[in-house]
Amino acid sequence: MKLLRMIGVGALLHTKQLSRSPFEIATALIVPVVQATLAVYLFRAGGEPGRLLEAAVGAGLMGVWSSVLFGSGGAIQNQRWQGTLEMIMLAPRPPALMILPITLATAVTGTYAMLATLLWGRLLYGVPLDFAHPLLFLLAVPGCVLGLGMFGLLLAATFVLMRNANALTNTLEYPIWLVSGMLVPLTVLPGWTGPIAAALPTTWGARAVHEAASGGPVWPSLGICLAISLGCLITGALMMTYVERRARAAATLALA
Amino acid sequence: MSEYAIEAAGLRRTYRSRTGWLRPQRREVEAVRGVDLTVGNGELFGLLGPNGAGKTTTIKLLNTLLIPTAGTARICGHDVVTETREVRRRIGYVFGGDRGLYERLSARDNLRYFAELYGVPGREQKRRIAELLELVRLDGRENERVEGYSRGMRQRLHIARGLLHRPKVLFLDEPSIGVDPVAARELRQTVADLAATGTTVLLTTHYMAEADELCDRIAVIASGTIQALGTPAELRRHADGRQVLEVEAYGVTDAQLATIHTLPGVREASVTVAGAAQVLTVQSDAGVDVQADVLRALDGVRLGRVSARQPTLEDAYVAIVNRVAAPSRPLEAVTA
Amino acid sequence: MTALFRLIGTGGVIAYRALFNWTTPAMFIGSLLVGPIFQLLFFAYLGRQLGVADDRFYIVGNAVLAASLSCVFGGTMAVANERRFGTLGHVLLSPRSRTAVFLGRVLPYAGNGLLIAVSTLTVGSLLLGLRMPPDALPALLATLAVASLSCGFFGLTLGALGLRFRDVWVVSNVSVALLLLLTGVNVPAAGLPGWMRAVGQALPITHAAAAARQLVAGKGFAAAAPALAAEVAVGFGYALLAATLLKLFEAESRRRASLDTM
Repeated sequence: MKLLRMIGVGALLHTKQLSRSPFEIATALIVPVVQATLAVYLFRAGGEPGRLLEAAVGAGLMGVWSSVLFGSGGAIQNQRWQGTLEMIMLAPRPPALMILPITLATAVTGTYAMLATLLWGRLLYGVPLDFAHPLLFLLAVPGCVLGLGMFGLLLAATFVLMRNANALTNTLEYPIWLVSGMLVPLTVLPGWTGPIAAALPTTWGARAVHEAASGGPVWPSLGICLAISLGCLITGALMMTYVERRARAAATLALA
Repeated sequence: MSEYAIEAAGLRRTYRSRTGWLRPQRREVEAVRGVDLTVGNGELFGLLGPNGAGKTTTIKLLNTLLIPTAGTARICGHDVVTETREVRRRIGYVFGGDRGLYERLSARDNLRYFAELYGVPGREQKRRIAELLELVRLDGRENERVEGYSRGMRQRLHIARGLLHRPKVLFLDEPSIGVDPVAARELRQTVADLAATGTTVLLTTHYMAEADELCDRIAVIASGTIQALGTPAELRRHADGRQVLEVEAYGVTDAQLATIHTLPGVREASVTVAGAAQVLTVQSDAGVDVQADVLRALDGVRLGRVSARQPTLEDAYVAIVNRVAAPSRPLEAVTA
Repeated sequence: MTALFRLIGTGGVIAYRALFNWTTPAMFIGSLLVGPIFQLLFFAYLGRQLGVADDRFYIVGNAVLAASLSCVFGGTMAVANERRFGTLGHVLLSPRSRTAVFLGRVLPYAGNGLLIAVSTLTVGSLLLGLRMPPDALPALLATLAVASLSCGFFGLTLGALGLRFRDVWVVSNVSVALLLLLTGVNVPAAGLPGWMRAVGQALPITHAAAAARQLVAGKGFAAAAPALAAEVAVGFGYALLAATLLKLFEAESRRRASLDTM
């Protein structure tokens, strides 16, 4: 209970800190417009105007992933820049618990991209917001966000030891969009990507959200997404403990 | 309960770094080379030394942020490497400068966040935060974002944060760096109050007056080892039998400083910059009058006030630090 | 004159090295060479699935676009990082021509962009099985070089805006997203509304991508020449704009002492 409270308060305050950044605000205002436009025009050009909602939801999911990816990769770096990484690592708790609220917060701010994409899609391009399961959609999105937040911890653990995680981050944006089937259905990808897709929580999260929007059994996908994410969380937590010790040995917690 | 709040034995820390990726070069820097010290419960202990002497590294070895390359350290009887969590429960860490806070959150939110992290029970948080805000005189402004705070305010918020979980041992790493004199005095008052309530404080600083005023005992650290350790009065004796000549000057060269070093009777000579002027400080044996020789060595340099005085703690410190350093030190080596 | 060229050249190389020396070769390859390839694959598969256009359209378009990321951010960095690291004042105080200094900063980024574009084109073609007419290669290389340069100057323009506005990275982030959308690289220009197409005409990449597509389709240099000329004009326009803005904002910064405020 205490633990949940800590994670909750932590995520809330990090969300507050993140969503007050002028950079984040401006990016969150404008990039979804571009993404929604891109998706809508591509689907229109492809003669698939009936799938516009799918396109907008897909573009929104892409935004959530970008936020988690850059957030989790950048958050550690940001904490380091702000000089707060040492301060949070000094807390008498497992290091993973200190980082999880941050990755959750980046996923939460990512939902803004989803909302904004849908909103812009509706306002600018008249994308019909007729969800197959509106209530399930409202559940699938937070579920997916929670999953991605936990996955973010695994990413963050990998990034703690590397001083310039940002450079690696850029590389991971498109492949995950592609392999998780956020906008492109998995069926058009080469067969060997299948197992990779099946192992990624992003695939199942995206699938659950798509199913809630366009029809399909939402629960199994959402369940698998959360199960894999939990696995990532545990792996990430173990890694984080190891990584923290190594960082103390290698002196990479501070900026200098 | 252990007899000592802080015990360190043979602490060493080496930094490894690699530079360049075409032809990687490994470099090893030994920042701390064998530090032994014990600090009693409730003591206010000062760690004094020039930049790069190993002060911050020593603190980070003691507060679990760094793992020692060799040696052991215990906080309240708990080993910093094997019992990290026990140690962290008992310590607070405050460093100088304006980083380390969440800029876009208010002081209250910053404290709330760290209170959760540091395990302050939920029902106690509100009271504790209010108490600390009052202690560091930020009450009334606690709902403003930190980005609008002055350096002194940030520094006080740092201290409040470090005290949230009522640590037994508080590490203060150059808390007064860049803080204006009035704020620095208030800061010293806060630290003194803390020590009076039984918190053990380990303070690093390179402001001599601060250490002199606050600390029960001081360790002077230079080149990664402790050069002298004792009460301020004991340390002052390192300059016994000396007198000090201070010359205000404009444009002393390295060569002139080197010449002054070689004058008979001169023990130390250094230049600090104070605004547009330089202040040349020459320590000499008490029996020898070096003034005439020094002024002759400064021939051609525009001079201001010349005065002779008894040695202070600062002179003792300079004497101790210069013992380790190379005999002729460049002009910028000692900064005010 | 040679001294000027040396200033442009070496000044640029040093600034470039300073920005990249923190990163390892793995990071460089990862973020700048591999990233665009995934971007290319993403749009190629999306295009295949929607039947919008064939692989050639996406491979060539995204290869040209690949140059933009490094060039736009590079051009922005050329100004913004000087400020961030507190060296802007020193650069502006140097008695050399500031315009030359900054235009020089762009060259290495443009060279880098060219490298990335060539690598993306090569790998993309190999992965998706696109054959190119060998005699089109020299002209194709020239097209990619022109695209890189004009992106670099576009970035420099954004960087110059950075002298005036604090959050220049927002601007360059949004600009990169706009390039993705408006240059007709991924959404065929015919599918875009008229005003978006008009904006696209004034952006770098648009014309270079069109020229490159002509070349890869084997239509020969003559068919590609008008588009290439248009790209040169766009690039030149941004160089001019950047130089003007730099001069303008520099004078203004001095007046308002906002040079080193972050």
